[in-house]
Amino acid sequence: MESRLLRVNLTTGEMKGETIPHSIFERWIGGSGVNNWIMWEHFLTHDINCDPRGPDNIFVFGVGPLAGTGAGSGIKGRITFKSPCYNMFGDSAGGGKFPYYARFSGYEYIAITGKAPKPVYLLICNGEVALIDAAHLWGKGTEDTHAILQEELGDYPSKVHTLSISQAGENQVGIAGVVSDALRIHARGGGGAVLGSKNLKAIAVQGNGGLPVARPGEMLAWSDDFRKKIDGNEAIYGFKRRGTLGAVEMYQHIGSHFWRNNQGNKFRGDEIRSDNWVKKFQKYSEVCSSDCFIACDSKYVIDGTESEPSKKYIGETFRRPEYLTTGSAAGALDVRDWSEVAHWGKITNDYAIDNQDLSCSISFLMELKQRDLISNHDVAELFGHEQSLRWGNMDDIEACVESIVFQKNLFGVMFRDGPYFGALKYSEMKGKNFMKYAMYGKGGASFTEEVRPYPTWMNNMAVASRGADHLKGIGLIEKFQREDLSKMYFNGRTEAADLTIPDLKGACTALAENQVALLNSYGVCLFHWMLDPAEFTPQDYYGKAYAAVTGIERTPEELMRDGERICNLEKAFNSRVGMRREHDMVCERWMWEPNSEGLYEGAVGADMFNTVLDEYYEWRGWEKESGLQTRARLEELGMEDVADVLAKDGALALT
Amino acid sequence: MTAIPQKEMVTGSIRYQPGEEVPNVGTKLFALRNQCTECNACEVACALVHSQDGMVNPQMARLRIDHAPEKSSRTNPLGIGFVAEICHHCGNPPPCADVCPTDAFYYDPVTRAAVIEQDNCIQCMECVPGCPFDVVFVAPKGELLKCDLCGGDPVCVKACATRPEMVNEGKQYVRLPVLFFEAQQEFNRLSKQIPEAQDEIGLMQAMLERGEISSSA
Repeated sequence: MESRLLRVNLTTGEMKGETIPHSIFERWIGGSGVNNWIMWEHFLTHDINCDPRGPDNIFVFGVGPLAGTGAGSGIKGRITFKSPCYNMFGDSAGGGKFPYYARFSGYEYIAITGKAPKPVYLLICNGEVALIDAAHLWGKGTEDTHAILQEELGDYPSKVHTLSISQAGENQVGIAGVVSDALRIHARGGGGAVLGSKNLKAIAVQGNGGLPVARPGEMLAWSDDFRKKIDGNEAIYGFKRRGTLGAVEMYQHIGSHFWRNNQGNKFRGDEIRSDNWVKKFQKYSEVCSSDCFIACDSKYVIDGTESEPSKKYIGETFRRPEYLTTGSAAGALDVRDWSEVAHWGKITNDYAIDNQDLSCSISFLMELKQRDLISNHDVAELFGHEQSLRWGNMDDIEACVESIVFQKNLFGVMFRDGPYFGALKYSEMKGKNFMKYAMYGKGGASFTEEVRPYPTWMNNMAVASRGADHLKGIGLIEKFQREDLSKMYFNGRTEAADLTIPDLKGACTALAENQVALLNSYGVCLFHWMLDPAEFTPQDYYGKAYAAVTGIERTPEELMRDGERICNLEKAFNSRVGMRREHDMVCERWMWEPNSEGLYEGAVGADMFNTVLDEYYEWRGWEKESGLQTRARLEELGMEDVADVLAKDGALALT
Repeated sequence: MTAIPQKEMVTGSIRYQPGEEVPNVGTKLFALRNQCTECNACEVACALVHSQDGMVNPQMARLRIDHAPEKSSRTNPLGIGFVAEICHHCGNPPPCADVCPTDAFYYDPVTRAAVIEQDNCIQCMECVPGCPFDVVFVAPKGELLKCDLCGGDPVCVKACATRPEMVNEGKQYVRLPVLFFEAQQEFNRLSKQIPEAQDEIGLMQAMLERGEISSSA
């Protein structure tokens, strides 16, 4: 297994292709694992405490070895960088056709450093590369940028696929993402601001080269087996139709939404149900990337007959809102009409901005207004004019979005790095402590789902390497109370599936983080595993596909160690920038306010928080007091070199 | 010692009428228009079957997914979505073979599919416009690519699994793939319903446009 890496120094314009040797894949699997290693190596020769918006930061794109080989699990590209909004490790996955075609363009990994003197875009076509003037693209949204590049570059040797930033990225808004093919966003962490700071508007790929598969016959047989299993699976049958939207009803039942800045956890009104979406809006099914046997995505076209507000959006077409698009609009902001939720999804994608941080910034301010903690005068001071800031009012919401994207006013400038930093700055400006109403977790990242009744999810939010979010350690065992999985992974013990006790919750986070790290490194989507976590295990079932594609033979236990190694490198990055146990935390409301409604009313996050966190460090083999890694565990994982770097930086546990 | 079966070259000019038994082809492949999700699974599977030198390349696949915004069908009146462009195996003889100046096409003795003998092919590309369905493709290095039915069990049909409209029969979920094949006999039965088509190719075009071809086979 070998792969090609393109190194681009935008300051000098120098571009150099190199081969990533087999030994790197043996150690780091591929995808996010290899990305992490490329970034780690970069910061051995560059100051890790550099300004993430400066030329010393690195932006790595990579796609794992299983992507597009018949693995049937979608294709996820990954971007990795030092996060400009949280000032720590940052990475984000995204679909679209870009990662698929990146594999045929000649370079599966791209590492970008420096800063271009003027806006440019990078073109990669069958191994040939060029930096091209992007003056005509600057100031455009991702949809226009993609369309112009498609027109400009033509259809040979293949259609053009792009990764681009919007005006938000150009303005170096910390919560700006990067969008693949104008449809699928790499939202988390602020990759858009990194590219914006480097004056790189887009990366375009074209190509008709092939990709290596060590044993095609074996891969075909695996693929056939996987497809048969997917066909016969009842959970997947429903998921094909509704995707993550299917969670709306279940979350409504148990009380797991994030209503009005998490003052409640159920949607109000009858409209926001997945049934209503499918009946009124869903037009045809589509796949988000390629090589996926589920194809949970779909398109909508609004014709104005669906509801009164839909008349504003006649002709608008985009992809169906995901759960978190819905959770942020119908939840955090209390929008009660599907066409408005869909519109929110479309604008946040076109402006390439993280809808989690964005919605929590807006809902923070709306809650202050609702509680009369700020006056109309205070609002006018932030926006430069009167703004009603009513819950669910799309005009207000759009005004807030544009304030941030275009850095129009004080509100936009203050909240460019999300709700945590925004609330801090605003509290300071007003001389009042508003932090109680800011929703965030580790690093200041926010997330629009109820987490208080779920100890593993709380723990996920507190320890995730890229800041609070659920996609680094998915608490499936606990949230869906899967005793079978608990038994499978913990020697017949069932406690992991019991929400009412802290036992094995930290262990679950460690386990899921390792598994997710593996899937992210393979370059596939997480959903297939999530829909049947007992069958489609990353270490065992996917491990066979990994062997067929790369020729690297691994036992499931070895693969789990590989996953753990990848997680440890992300942790090491954060330790180097000064993060310790006290940074593994969540906001006041999640910690201390009792859960206000739903099946688990009254649950207080703090009850189990520290016990679970201790257990997580224990399972990780890290020091509890400081949260730092130990040399013993790093050496067990074959990471002596990493331990040496940490020791030099004073970021290794002393024990 | 077993004798190597004589390759039957695709030549001749007999035209078959709708409903008549066409002797040369056992299986026909079709795709439902605009029901495709563009998952590319069929392309990838085809590329895996036809991989060379440890490389897999969808550009070497014998079918392509294309955006088909203008075509509407009975099942998709809005006419939005994608379509799999795939060889239907019209045996009449097939027009792609008919225009070949070097007679490079022969019938696979097992599947009865007309396939290209690469050694005889001079890459003149006459067969590309010669195909009325635009499903003879050119590989990145110039090789002409035509569906060979994978030895009789087309892998693309097996791979086509993403369409969400599966039929729920009790607890069994039976998928309705976008790609499917019809036995010649079934095709003949359906074809009697369109008497106005002049020949088999016209018939297929008419049936596809009307959305008359179903996955009932």
